[in-house]
Amino acid sequence: MDKVKQKDLILYSGLIILGLAAPYLFSAFKVQLTYLCVLIVLAMTWNLQGGEMGYNTFGNILFYGLGMYLTASVQVGMFFPLAEWTESGGEKTFVHTTAQYFQGIGVGLLVSAIVPAVIAGAIGYAILGLRGHYFAICTLGLGIAAGEIAGGIEIIGAGQGFTTPPFPAEIVDTEARGKFFYFLSFALLVGTFIFVKYIYGSRFRLILNAIRDNEDKAEAMGIQTMKYKIVGWMCSAFFCGLAGGIMGGLIGYIDSTDVAFDGREMGVFMVLMAILGGKGTLWGPVIGATLFHFFKEGLWTLILGWQYVALGVLIVVIVVYFPEGLMGWLREKYPERFGEVIDEKDRKAQVELK
Amino acid sequence: MNKIAKLFVTFISAITLALVSFTSSFAKVEGEYIVLGSAISLTGKYSSNGVHTQNGYNMAVDRINKMGGVEVQGKKYKFEIIYYDDESNPKRAAQLAERLIKQDGVHYMLGPYSSGLTKAIAPVTEKYKIPMVEANGASRSLFTKGYKYLFAVLSPANQYLEVAIDLAVEKNGGKGVKIAQAFEQDAFSQDVRLGILDAAKRTGSEIIIDDKLPKELNDMAATLAKVKAVKPDVLVVSGHTKGALTAIRQISEMKVDVPMLAMTHCDAAKLSKQHGKKSEFALCASQWHKNLSYKDKFFGSGKKYAKDFQKEFGYDPPYQSAESSAALLVFKDAFERANSFDRDAVRDALVDTEMQTFYGNIKFGPGGQNVAKPMILFQVRCKGDDCENRVVAPTKWASDKFYHPIPKWSERS
Repeated sequence: MDKVKQKDLILYSGLIILGLAAPYLFSAFKVQLTYLCVLIVLAMTWNLQGGEMGYNTFGNILFYGLGMYLTASVQVGMFFPLAEWTESGGEKTFVHTTAQYFQGIGVGLLVSAIVPAVIAGAIGYAILGLRGHYFAICTLGLGIAAGEIAGGIEIIGAGQGFTTPPFPAEIVDTEARGKFFYFLSFALLVGTFIFVKYIYGSRFRLILNAIRDNEDKAEAMGIQTMKYKIVGWMCSAFFCGLAGGIMGGLIGYIDSTDVAFDGREMGVFMVLMAILGGKGTLWGPVIGATLFHFFKEGLWTLILGWQYVALGVLIVVIVVYFPEGLMGWLREKYPERFGEVIDEKDRKAQVELK
Repeated sequence: MNKIAKLFVTFISAITLALVSFTSSFAKVEGEYIVLGSAISLTGKYSSNGVHTQNGYNMAVDRINKMGGVEVQGKKYKFEIIYYDDESNPKRAAQLAERLIKQDGVHYMLGPYSSGLTKAIAPVTEKYKIPMVEANGASRSLFTKGYKYLFAVLSPANQYLEVAIDLAVEKNGGKGVKIAQAFEQDAFSQDVRLGILDAAKRTGSEIIIDDKLPKELNDMAATLAKVKAVKPDVLVVSGHTKGALTAIRQISEMKVDVPMLAMTHCDAAKLSKQHGKKSEFALCASQWHKNLSYKDKFFGSGKKYAKDFQKEFGYDPPYQSAESSAALLVFKDAFERANSFDRDAVRDALVDTEMQTFYGNIKFGPGGQNVAKPMILFQVRCKGDDCENRVVAPTKWASDKFYHPIPKWSERS
């Protein structure tokens, strides 16, 4: 047991060192690496619902978008009148000082973690009673509705979009902005991973699994399933909100349906990545998101105009050949490496029977 | 677990190696080529206009290269453009701009299609001090952010249809009119809307319907039903290509009678070809028309440009293509005047631009917008089944008189 732990320790410290060194090693790829961290966070949090709890949510994009708007609004609103900032064609220019910028984004991120979690609690209370595809369709509607509503609210820029505060001009180093957002997202990734790993070792995960496997039985055993479902969703919303807040600052421009409540892209990607890697596993979403991001960045520009066709093919291939994801596939091939005990004789007997 | 861990470590190291070997950055000027970068919408909701933009860029690159290229410090250079597809998505566009600058080493950018995407890219080019000449981001809010490296060859969006309201008021004997308007919820159309609000205030007109239309616009029947009920003097619609097509389709289906119909993007939507007589009398704002009398030595006149474009790409050039071609003429001019590849020298040269192109005069205001060129209005007119865009305002270039009011559907054959 100790030996395994030691190996884990080496693996984790190796990954953390790689993560910390990455923006210096691959200076030109900082933005892509930041995206990667955010994608992994989204896939891991989706996995809590879709993988562990068996509730296929398309609604996590709601918390991501909320986080984005909240961070930007707080960052501006703390120091300047928000309405004048977002007014299109406004004649005034407001400039954040360095201190204001960082204070603003700090408080903004705090708000964008808490508010989505609270909202997840409220919405969850209302709709987590739905099961199966009813829940999926309902959450799909949430994301779309949020996009349309945000597109009509003048104070956050409505259809014009919301330009987030530019990085303070007093910092001359052009690399500073990239590094700042990378480390922010990397910290979020590490935090999310530690949290999810903690959940994986806890009773909470077993309860989520029980809900997935048979909710009625779980309830019959005396588990208050509703409570756990809501808490699980609130946890996801907390991290999705933070991810959105960071992305808003990084992209610099928030559009209601294309950037914030981007269910068509981010909303689908987070599901796809978790399934690609293997839902219901700790490492699955991490590997899935990494592979997906490399596929996307590497190949998409080579097949300009056909990338969505390629994505469609990828989805078909995943669903047909890796229905349990890469981790599930590996587990089936090398079960002993996942700590599963195999009776060799029994296996051989099965092979012969075939 | 340990095997999995090993597998993972191998995977990570493979990627690391791949990335390190890939980080060799290109130069801004490679051999005899000046490399420009652009993220263009080749897929997604702006794909048709994205292609118009790309065709415009390519046409100008070919022409300039064929006619000797760009001369800097006595040496001839040719233009080359690196394209990426931004999928009509601002998030992707910002990421690609970063990629063009950091990974491909591009030092000069051409704009994307649409105001929203330009808004997403401008903060990036500004951060790295990369001069960007853009031809398709008209939203006024682009020019009030104090950007120093952004130059737009087109007139700002709020000017698009202001003139149309003035025309309507003139036809109404100088009295204010009743305006019904419907705009897509995006940066460009919302800015056109602000222009109308200003014009309404100025002329004492009243806005009786003010609707917002969704992106990916396919239906505006609700707005049109209201228009039928309240009978405004002017109906204003803006929503890129899809907005123009949807408006004409449903107005003719629902037989909506309105004395004046003002729109944007009629030529990009090829309204007169696609909808023929149904689109007759639509009044359209345009940055350019081939009949204007501007000239330059690369494309000759607007008519010549239209003919060459038709030959090359098989359709009449919409203004999106013309303004995109003009962006390259501006770059060439700036490089030659700067006589250097230093980004700030090029930027300073761009500030001092004052030139005439087949597309119009170009001179940049303090915010980066083109202040030397007026917007024009044309009206779709038909002879038999053959429909054409005819310039009706401003009077200097007007080939036809503005036809007002639009006859009722019951009287149209």
